[in-house]
Amino acid sequence: MIPNARELIDGYLDDALTADQQEELSAWIKANPEHARIFAEAMLLHDRLRNTLGTVEAPDALHPSFNSESPLGWPGGSWLMSPLARTTAAAALLILGLATLWFSIGTPTASAAIRELDRIIVNSMKSKDRTFEIVVEDITTERRGKRSARSESQRPPKPPLDGAALYVRSGNQFVLIRKTQDGLPFVTGSNGKQSWAINTRGPVRVSADVHRFDHDLPGHETSVPLTDLHEGLQQLKRAYDLTFSALGPEEYQTGDGHEARQLIAVKKPKERGPQRVEIVYDATTGGILRMRFVQMPYGPDRLDLRLSLVSQEELPADFFEHTSHHVLDRKIEVEN
Amino acid sequence: MNGLSRGRKNMEEQYQQAIRYWTLAQPVVSAYVTAVVRDFRDRDDLLQAISVAVLEAFSSYDPARPFTAWAIGIARNQIGTYLRERKRNRLIFDAETVDLLAVAFEQIDSAQTRKLDLLQDCLAKLEGRARQLCELRYQNDLKPAAIGSLLGMAPNTVAKSLQRIRDQLRQCIERNAALEGGPS
Repeated sequence: MIPNARELIDGYLDDALTADQQEELSAWIKANPEHARIFAEAMLLHDRLRNTLGTVEAPDALHPSFNSESPLGWPGGSWLMSPLARTTAAAALLILGLATLWFSIGTPTASAAIRELDRIIVNSMKSKDRTFEIVVEDITTERRGKRSARSESQRPPKPPLDGAALYVRSGNQFVLIRKTQDGLPFVTGSNGKQSWAINTRGPVRVSADVHRFDHDLPGHETSVPLTDLHEGLQQLKRAYDLTFSALGPEEYQTGDGHEARQLIAVKKPKERGPQRVEIVYDATTGGILRMRFVQMPYGPDRLDLRLSLVSQEELPADFFEHTSHHVLDRKIEVEN
Repeated sequence: MNGLSRGRKNMEEQYQQAIRYWTLAQPVVSAYVTAVVRDFRDRDDLLQAISVAVLEAFSSYDPARPFTAWAIGIARNQIGTYLRERKRNRLIFDAETVDLLAVAFEQIDSAQTRKLDLLQDCLAKLEGRARQLCELRYQNDLKPAAIGSLLGMAPNTVAKSLQRIRDQLRQCIERNAALEGGPS
């Protein structure tokens, strides 16, 4: 080993190499497979240290003025010298310690929850079609300005989501069937290439914009689209904290006699989307049985919404074409 | 047992086997990802994506091949996709070095990763400033310069101390492995 190879490796581990040193390290690794092995072993210990100890969230969450990239991000050297600063620093370290303890206790559950979510994601890709029933449990309306309220009042009321049937297939294909106040079906959908809306009266509206008519479903603007289970679950992995929660005794078993479990995803600060998502799933297969979205953004409203799996039976091949949902002589209006 | 039940049982067995293999390979794959992706958060996201990809692709795994090498191959693809999707270029090493490292990580045997299970005991023996430095570096992901600012130390002194601490831990692990009669 060249004399400073160990220093280069350690510099790499601590992200403290200059560009030239980085080049030097790269050249050293390439010079001999044994060097690559030594580097790999050092990295193995480094990574294990991180996995064993590293569970505290970003320090700026604990101290907003901290900038981990630059020590100059601290509010000046004299800050550290004052008694107040010493007390604050000690408190910060104490908080770090407590946070570490908390996270180290919580980590196995969180890791297990992530693994379970991975199983759910894998299972979500197995089934081609799914049919859900939507139940809106609660609607909270945020206070709106006059202009917004006026423009809202000029629009015809949307058919309610409560009681709607949602059919989804991979590739952004969906059919949403709601009932108007007259009890007539209002159907929107997409075949993945174009979207469409079939009102009780007037022409069938068809658009090349596949998202033109999915705005009536909440979630699309916050990366938790109800029409794309896979994308929504991936977003839960990225932007939510995951834990398990107990189920009521009547919900322990699925219809197949399997154990049912519940995964709870709570939105991380500064992320967008529903505040909380609850997933009840089959512990044996990882298949989703029910999802509940709490405080889900929906225009100016926040919905508490439940999505219950009705069927995973394969739907007819042309089910996501608008022609499957209206008589053939209906007038078609193509929109941009 | 009907065909459907047999099929389900086979799938469950295959899934369990995938989990067993992945549990053994994961420390090496994790270290490989950490070696080539600098950002710990990127690494964490990537590891999740890789574990899903490994489970998804497991039916195509050829048991005649070493599983770790196969999983590292998947990790390389995932790293490329991940960085492309996020329009980032956080790979520090060039492609040739990344390839050489992949080979080096593939050759790490399970005895080496098992030895690292002794790390916990060695960490427990760290005291005072050494423990504090280790925690600030690995719990809080602070770089030597930031640690130096916090503790009133020169960054170079912090870097040297961290180097010494890792050496101590490495020696402690080797010592304990030898005492337990494990691989040295």
